[in-house]
Amino acid sequence: MSRDGIAGLAVLAASLVLFALTLDLQASPMVPVGPGFYPRIVLALTALLSLGLVVSDVLSRKRIPKEQPKQKLNYPLVAMSFAVFALYAVALPWLGFRIATFLFVGGTNALLDPPRGARGWGRALILGLVTTVATWLVFERWLSVLLPRGRWTDF
Amino acid sequence: MLELLGTALVNVAQVKYLVPLFLGTLAGVVGGALPGVTITMAIIVVLPFTFGLDPLQGLAAMTGVYVGGSAGGLVTAVLLGIPGTPSAIATTFDGHPMAKNGEPGRAMWLGIWASVFGGMIGGAFLIFSTGPLAKFALQFGPWEFFALFVFALSMVAGLVESSLAKGLLSGGLGLIVTVLGNDPVMGQKRLTLGIPMLEGGIDFLPVLIGVFAFAQIMSEVERMGGAAKFGDAVDRSLSLAVSHVKVIGEILSRPFLLLWSSFIGVVIGVLPAIGGSAANMIAYDQAKKMSGHPQKFGSGIPEGIIASESSNNANVGGSLVTIMAFGIPGDAVTAVMLGALTIHGIQSGPLFILQNAQLAYGIFAAYLIAHLLMVLIIGVAARYMLRVVTVPKAALFPVVLVLCVIGAYALNNTMQNVYILLAFGLLGYAMVKGGFPLAPFILGVVLGDQIEINLIRAIMTDANPWLFLTRPISGALMALSVASLAFAIWQHYRHRAKAASEVDADF
Repeated sequence: MSRDGIAGLAVLAASLVLFALTLDLQASPMVPVGPGFYPRIVLALTALLSLGLVVSDVLSRKRIPKEQPKQKLNYPLVAMSFAVFALYAVALPWLGFRIATFLFVGGTNALLDPPRGARGWGRALILGLVTTVATWLVFERWLSVLLPRGRWTDF
Repeated sequence: MLELLGTALVNVAQVKYLVPLFLGTLAGVVGGALPGVTITMAIIVVLPFTFGLDPLQGLAAMTGVYVGGSAGGLVTAVLLGIPGTPSAIATTFDGHPMAKNGEPGRAMWLGIWASVFGGMIGGAFLIFSTGPLAKFALQFGPWEFFALFVFALSMVAGLVESSLAKGLLSGGLGLIVTVLGNDPVMGQKRLTLGIPMLEGGIDFLPVLIGVFAFAQIMSEVERMGGAAKFGDAVDRSLSLAVSHVKVIGEILSRPFLLLWSSFIGVVIGVLPAIGGSAANMIAYDQAKKMSGHPQKFGSGIPEGIIASESSNNANVGGSLVTIMAFGIPGDAVTAVMLGALTIHGIQSGPLFILQNAQLAYGIFAAYLIAHLLMVLIIGVAARYMLRVVTVPKAALFPVVLVLCVIGAYALNNTMQNVYILLAFGLLGYAMVKGGFPLAPFILGVVLGDQIEINLIRAIMTDANPWLFLTRPISGALMALSVASLAFAIWQHYRHRAKAASEVDADF
């Protein structure tokens, strides 16, 4: 089964599970149809469409064997970039915007363009510092947009 | 109308509004010129800066990004041979050869002035049609709004380039996002999956930011590690100075081309989620077909540049009409603008122009002034922008992600939206890798609540479901929905048959 078939199966499973959950929703006395009415329509439609995608994937694979274009893509780097961002999202409420952002920007820059020597590390640190200071000054000081404070650092 | 526009032009010309408009236009031009950064990403980056501004300041900045971004792509398209945005792809076909032939200034200024004229034609449509269309939409009841939103969604799902099933499924996934959390009619909890942060529902802006920013950034990250390409730059010692009278004369001596290309741009702008990338290609194709010398297209002739650039800026005007008259975002950029309106507590839709005339005309004025600022910015900074576009992506991407986090967090000062940003970033990237179009998904997320509210209102008013088909406007919109899906299916089979016949011919 190709990516289409797998994606279709995943959406089909999710739609069916959610559809089953809508059956437990209580009707409201104020509205002629309950809160589950519209979700059921949407979920039934997505279930049918995803089933169609699965069937079409199975049938098309029988008819025409697809050739996948070969292009080397750096998926480990994508996975690591997502992981670093996830760490940043987790660290924000604990370390606060300024420390977490400094670490994230410097770290991501070093990940995407590995530093060679002290100058490279200096570049990553300066980028982290400048981004942190500039965003903090513009948003907190100038635009009065509050940024996360750290529970551990109170900073 | 013209009196209101005059007042708005004077109002927006004040420093208070001119500064954010200028900065937005500058951000749009630079973002548009940067290969790998789309106008959507530029406007996502600008969004958090608008939180601390008043609504017109924020929307002026965003309008500036939209106008500047639509024209900014031509700088790199002409001088480097790399379109800065998808809406400048067709500009590359003739703009870069003309620049390589020793006329970079002529190529660039043809593009800039064509953008201005196209933008002004789009602006005239925006100013004169938004009010009447909004008045027409005021006749709509819940049946008509439901049918209109369904039509918009079916058209977007059908017109996307990938398969119809994936387009529809993508729209369906967007609708699923809106059914999680709470019922928009009675506020009753539903489908929270035991996750407390879902109890209030999911804001569409973090979803939109996550899906688009991560889909784009990670698609670039996966190609990192190879040799960097900075295109086929023209000789930087060549002057970009030209006779503006001569260049403007070259454009105005082709009035039919200018009007037709701008018309294509406006029409595609009005249709939800197709965007400038399709407008410039279709306008270029049309210009070639109607030309007396189609074989010269691609060699560096002015017609190719005029068609592409006038259409992509006219597209902006058309796209703004859809959101201001109907509350339907024409593309991801206007979806972010819709979010900005929501943040300031302003309801979009047909009542918008009546209830917020000053703001609506302020947007019109910002749109017109942004074109002049765009000329100024590109004219002064084009040569320096070639240096800016070579900024390393390893430095750019973390900064963009930080701005995305600020944009999501500052919506209601909770980390919940940052986690939603990450979750939908993963989903957006997975959708791109699976070949699922993002436009129907976003439209589903934006319109989902409104579809449900209008469906329930219609049922509460009269439980007869046939009213959706028997009321004239609603019935016509439902018929158009079916027709757009039928057209998409026909187009799909025609494309497949053509592909099969081409394969046979090869054998």
